[in-house]
Amino acid sequence: MENINDIGSIGLVKTNYFNFAGPPDEIILSSGEKLGPIIVAYETYGELNKEKNNTILIFHALTGDAHAAGYNSPDETKPGWWDLMIGPGKPFDTDKYFVICSNIIGGCKGSTGPSSVDAKTGRPYGLTFPVITVKDMVVVQKKLLDHLGIDTLFCVAGGSMGGMLALQWLVSYPEMSEGAMLIATAANHTAQAIAFNSVGRYSIIQDPDWNNGNYYGKTKPDKGLSVARMIGHITYLSEESMHEKFGRNMISGKLAPSGAADFTKEFEVESYLQYQGESFIKRFDANSYLYITKAIDDFDITDGFENLADALKNVKAKCLVMSFTSDWLYPRDQSARIVKALKINGIESTFTNFESSYGHDSFLIDDERLKNLFSGFLKSIREKV
Amino acid sequence: MKKLGIINKWIKEGSKVLFLGCGSGEIIKSLQSTNKIRGFGIDIDEKKVYEAIADGLSVTQGNINTELMDYPKKSFDYIIAHDIIQIMEKPAVTINQILELSDKVIISFPNFGFINISLCILFKGKMPKTKILPYEWYDTPNIHLFTIKDFINFCRKEKIKILDVNYTGFGKRRIPKALLPNLFSEFAYFLLKK
Repeated sequence: MENINDIGSIGLVKTNYFNFAGPPDEIILSSGEKLGPIIVAYETYGELNKEKNNTILIFHALTGDAHAAGYNSPDETKPGWWDLMIGPGKPFDTDKYFVICSNIIGGCKGSTGPSSVDAKTGRPYGLTFPVITVKDMVVVQKKLLDHLGIDTLFCVAGGSMGGMLALQWLVSYPEMSEGAMLIATAANHTAQAIAFNSVGRYSIIQDPDWNNGNYYGKTKPDKGLSVARMIGHITYLSEESMHEKFGRNMISGKLAPSGAADFTKEFEVESYLQYQGESFIKRFDANSYLYITKAIDDFDITDGFENLADALKNVKAKCLVMSFTSDWLYPRDQSARIVKALKINGIESTFTNFESSYGHDSFLIDDERLKNLFSGFLKSIREKV
Repeated sequence: MKKLGIINKWIKEGSKVLFLGCGSGEIIKSLQSTNKIRGFGIDIDEKKVYEAIADGLSVTQGNINTELMDYPKKSFDYIIAHDIIQIMEKPAVTINQILELSDKVIISFPNFGFINISLCILFKGKMPKTKILPYEWYDTPNIHLFTIKDFINFCRKEKIKILDVNYTGFGKRRIPKALLPNLFSEFAYFLLKK
């Protein structure tokens, strides 16, 4: 078990909040609507060097947050979500790099989202929160960097939705980063990925407690959100890892006696998923789930370009593109498309379909090979000619 | 003998080089230090590719023919197919493909016309096993064995320019190799252009 006193742990960290875009300086979103004032929750690890060129910007996945490493309090039982990779001597080595992670707008982990209070009305936004895109999320993170006085990045990195943000960063600010790590991600969602998100959203809006997004201070649509999480969670795992973990194991060790059928908690995998759903509702907002899943379903990096190669033509970063063999949500071909576009543009790129049985979430797993690969790639960024 | 020195001599400093079947990238790294190349690689073996990436090399994991398809014409100064053409499914296709993608191409291969091999077939009546071709006939990766003469004829037919050649094997004596390369060379290096 990890510990706050571990060598390699960044230790106690603080979440910071950046306030900006108060009227009349609201930001204009892709939809044309205005948003402001905006709060961005962010954490930083390590020190910015004198040359201001050692910053790594980390993007979190769908339900992640700014707390990527270390502990927010000595009582916290688990460190930040990518603590395996971020810390002194770890791949994102905080002795060398200045690491930043911020919560996306639309989220519910400290940054402005549908559960935040709208200054104009004094009430939570709910569905009056404007539609946001992956591009908008990136624009806001750029504002944060401007605020921190950082105009060049050593690397951008993210997995899943975080990889989409990293890709969007390369397209929006192609000159700014020397390296990029695009992990288990895609230039756009497949119909299958959209379908799963759609069922999740449908489950939320069908919950009577959702009440058109107007549930703050009342009963929350917990049933809908937990089912959405259960579906999502299935897509993050692989058949193989589920089989290994649960097989056909029964909770009671045998089938329910006849006449007392249990339709919800017979198999271990059922109780596991229900636990996932139940713990998720404590930490996530249903409206945020709707807004963010919509943003990633709508995401298509080729929008406004002829094709993917055209979209990536100005990229200056050396890229690591990675898929995982057991990831059926963002399969190898999705990454291979990105690699192909990079090659067409003569952009230095590295690709591997990493052998792992943990499905889409493989990048969050403790694996020495993965750590070596990340370290090696990061070291090589400055060697690029 | 497979000698790297021959390849070193042909590659201009600072060139952009793609290495087919690069494995964990030892040769790319060596060329990076000797010839200051910008090295790239393709290999299908995931474990070797992890090692290469962990060493900071730009390598793509995949099938050579598929991975080659994505590059625009003349993307590289050199493409190196070192000891690999004989294991490709369609050598002619691959050779023509890399000649399109690169200004110059280096191809090296074991010469099946080598005297030891010929003698083995002639006197023992068996498929030969040598240091360079150590496999049994039933589990060899070498599915297209050919001789230096075969390769020169192929280049002529395909209108490929042979810019330079080098042969190794049969000790250090140069004269037999220079006179009868097909018989006295164990391994051949060709510098090509189209």
